[in-house]
Amino acid sequence: MSVYRHEYRAYAGRLTSPLARVGVLTRYAYAEAWSSRITTALSVVALLPPVVYLVAIYLANNPVARLVILSRKNSLISIDASFFMTVLSSQCWLALVLTAWVAPRLVSFDIGDNALPILLSHPISRFGYVAGKFIALFSFLSFITWIPSIGLFAYQAYSSPVPWAGSHLRIGMGLLAGSLVWIVVLTLLGLALSSWVKWRVVATGVIFAAIFVPAGIGGIASAILRTKWGLLMNVPVMMTQLWQRMLGAPQIMLRDLTLPAGAIGAVLLLLCALSLAMLNARIRAREVVRG
Amino acid sequence: MNVIELDRLEVRLGGRTVLEGLSGQLRGNAIGLLGPNGAGKSTLIHTLLGFYTPSRGAARVFGIDTRQGRVRIRQRIGYMPENDSFIGNMSGVRFVRYMAELAGLPAADALERAHEALFYVGLGEVRYRKINTYSLGMKQLIKLAQALAHGPQLLILDEPTNGLDPVARQRMIQTLQEIRKQGSIHLLISSHLLRDIDDTCDEVLILKQGRIAALCNIEAERRSHRNFIELEALGAIDLFCDAVRALGCECASFPGGRVKLIMPDAIEPRDLYRVAHENGVQIRRMDSRRDSLEDIFLRAMDAVPERRELVGI
Repeated sequence: MSVYRHEYRAYAGRLTSPLARVGVLTRYAYAEAWSSRITTALSVVALLPPVVYLVAIYLANNPVARLVILSRKNSLISIDASFFMTVLSSQCWLALVLTAWVAPRLVSFDIGDNALPILLSHPISRFGYVAGKFIALFSFLSFITWIPSIGLFAYQAYSSPVPWAGSHLRIGMGLLAGSLVWIVVLTLLGLALSSWVKWRVVATGVIFAAIFVPAGIGGIASAILRTKWGLLMNVPVMMTQLWQRMLGAPQIMLRDLTLPAGAIGAVLLLLCALSLAMLNARIRAREVVRG
Repeated sequence: MNVIELDRLEVRLGGRTVLEGLSGQLRGNAIGLLGPNGAGKSTLIHTLLGFYTPSRGAARVFGIDTRQGRVRIRQRIGYMPENDSFIGNMSGVRFVRYMAELAGLPAADALERAHEALFYVGLGEVRYRKINTYSLGMKQLIKLAQALAHGPQLLILDEPTNGLDPVARQRMIQTLQEIRKQGSIHLLISSHLLRDIDDTCDEVLILKQGRIAALCNIEAERRSHRNFIELEALGAIDLFCDAVRALGCECASFPGGRVKLIMPDAIEPRDLYRVAHENGVQIRRMDSRRDSLEDIFLRAMDAVPERRELVGI
């Protein structure tokens, strides 16, 4: 029978599990993110550096190809912690660009159109809602951060003429841990800031501002007070120092400006907690319609 | 089984008591929720949905406590909020399907039922249009469709005819009457419009200042009340009143020759004309009406709950 001939009837079929409903939120969030061509373009751009790095690893491990392509520059490419530090940095900063674009698309429509009262009147909790969006953005960022980075590490391990992976396991672990820390922070921060800004374009700007404006203020504070602790507001510097330690790459900053790992961890934890509190406050306030 | 059970329910928000000592059992197929602004209607709905936790007492929906069984209750409820609440850049069918999937339907079933629900409420022809292109009436109907799609046992409608033109309102009322007639869904309709409740509900809960002012079956209440007559007359009003009291009517006279009567069923209006003629009284105007929901509401509003301060939501 055609649908338009149907009378109303109660539903008597099977129901999905509560966990699957979180998956529904993730699936629709993905669809929303990918409905924009800019998302596609940014994703392609974010995957271009790994292709370049892949070629570099190939050349570094293939003397014949190196001779043909690079003629006499045999020692140009060295695949070590510094190389993977470059890989991790480039991918993680591209992840920031993608977060600034994608995160507002996942949350702003729900907030802007006042959809939360209807969404949360279904058998899904505030936690489930945030979890669904978190999984969407986290997995999206994974595809451009730790997955290609670990892929490059695995390729280097495979193509190296000498046993390499065992002696450089710290790099692999550092790539994974460094990426995960960064994308967890980015995801929470992106969702929290997007939930407080109604307009997507503004939300994109606010996400960039939240990373770079405190960095500037921290720099000024450090210069005036002649202390290194102002760098704790400088997320790019903090993350660079953290990644260098995780990968075992040489420090590029002066020893006086090196921050303790505990302080960096505490600031990142504080940032995550603040983001969660912002999300909770915003969603709790919007889950009921106030007529 | 009771649809909704309130057991000395108290809800405090922002340090103020918004609902206080609500007790009662609602069993009707269609329950109207009435009350002036700030009476606590929306707070009660949000408490039933589990958005607010009772500070004292309990509220149960189909026997499930709102504190412990929030997810199970929401599984069995379809909710249509008063204000605009949807995702504007989604098509109608995609939005309803999304909501049905969130309610626990598998994707294929959700899609099928989204189409059915949209045809059922009369949005079948516009189901592929984006919601932000819909008219106000369509937006009300899409909210109804998403509330129906997962086949709830209780449909909670907050001001369902809000902002609708007379034709759209009639269409909405007809749809609600069909749902009530079909019988598999209970309705809880919150409205300021007595006529909407009168047209669709068989039981009414009237709130005033966060307390229950009346809880009754509308039809039974109508049956139990007698005829009201309002007269304007000239002449010996006091004699006339004495005579009609002798017939068994309750009577009260007011300045300007106005008289209000409550007639027993055995007395007809023609008896009043006869008594008036016998007492030399001219009846210049006579209004006769059965007890309406408006009367029930106004009586409930007159009965002031014992409350020191006015509460707001």
